[in-house]
Amino acid sequence: MNIQEFIENFAAQLDETEPDTIKADTRFKELDEWSSLTALSIIAMVDDEYDVIIKGNDILKSDTIQDLFDIVEKKRH
Amino acid sequence: MSQLTINNVRIAGMSACVPSTVEDNRTLPIYKDENDALKVIASTGIERHHKVDENTTASDLTVKAVEALLDKMGWAAQDIDCFAYVCTSRDYIAPQTACILQDRLKLRNDCCVFDLPFGCSGWVYGMSIVSSLLSHGSFKRAILVAAETNTRNRNPRDTAVRPLFGDAATATALEFDPDHSRPMNFMYGVDGSGFDAVWAPYGGIRNPVTPEALEEKEVSPGVYRRGVDMIVNGMDVFGFAIKQPPRSLKELISTFNIDVETVDLLLLHQANKFIDEKIRKAVKMPTEKTPYCLEEYGNVTSASIPLTMVTRCHEQLSGEEKHCVACGFGVGLAWASMEFYAGGVTMVDVIDY
Repeated sequence: MNIQEFIENFAAQLDETEPDTIKADTRFKELDEWSSLTALSIIAMVDDEYDVIIKGNDILKSDTIQDLFDIVEKKRH
Repeated sequence: MSQLTINNVRIAGMSACVPSTVEDNRTLPIYKDENDALKVIASTGIERHHKVDENTTASDLTVKAVEALLDKMGWAAQDIDCFAYVCTSRDYIAPQTACILQDRLKLRNDCCVFDLPFGCSGWVYGMSIVSSLLSHGSFKRAILVAAETNTRNRNPRDTAVRPLFGDAATATALEFDPDHSRPMNFMYGVDGSGFDAVWAPYGGIRNPVTPEALEEKEVSPGVYRRGVDMIVNGMDVFGFAIKQPPRSLKELISTFNIDVETVDLLLLHQANKFIDEKIRKAVKMPTEKTPYCLEEYGNVTSASIPLTMVTRCHEQLSGEEKHCVACGFGVGLAWASMEFYAGGVTMVDVIDY
């Protein structure tokens, strides 16, 4: 899996944030539109695209998209 | 794999009772504006739910549901050989609520009664337990209740749960029928490592009720709970619910060689629309075969599947035999899937308490 594709998949779950503004170091929980519902969309996206189930705690302890990417990559192995 | 096949038991009748008070999610005081509420409604599919008052328990709703069912079926309370009460919001810590209901419903003193404290998987587990007892042929008639008062064991200031959960009681009449040649097939699942995805930490023996456990605290912005209130960790439940139920249904389908094309009804625990739609798509069932009642009643835990049958499948189930597949999943974490056939069922319209 590569980070660029992960960022695009992540950005696709957002409704109000410009996809171009989403980067590996974006602190996603600070986005204006971030909510528990966005978190559920991210969990579903990771399940669909990477066949990995991330936990609530994985999201809680991640600050950036890179942090979350690293967790997903680790769980795939 | 734990799998079970039960023969010679059929669903004879179904009923449900819901509180008459309705709480509409659009006007809940927990949202800053209606737009906020509409967002939650759009993703969960839950528009409103029915809510008991502070003097009503799940067993009160149950008495109405069972009495109406017996009445319409022409069964006497004295005919019931077995009575199971699936519920986690029990009347008292002791005794079992089923014992009290024996007296209130005027069941026989030698009736086999018991509580089954399951949550969302409870109707399916209960169907397997009660049907299994009936299948021996000694018990002829049984009532399986699936009831819950979610609004009373969750905090009304917990924004994560208030819009989602409602109250209801359902009754399913089962009977031993040697001529009923269609088997019921079951698959089970449990993952106790997820026990704290949905749980009430205080009020049991490990963490007894203390003055602190009764103090309401703001656990995260806008979310208030007491130690004795039910906690639903939405993200963990979601991760579980999009993975295990589809897997369980696929196991059921392959183990019992079910031709999905012949299935008339996919009956899912009414968790929320987002989750249920993912499950439906995973097993490739068309929307018209997947009834929902969550928009009107919310998630009523173990009562979800039978309430869907009573409120949305009245004509289908009272008519010719239908091929059904059901899946219940939630607190435990526990889940179970079943295949069954139902037709000519005496269906009672939903009753207001």
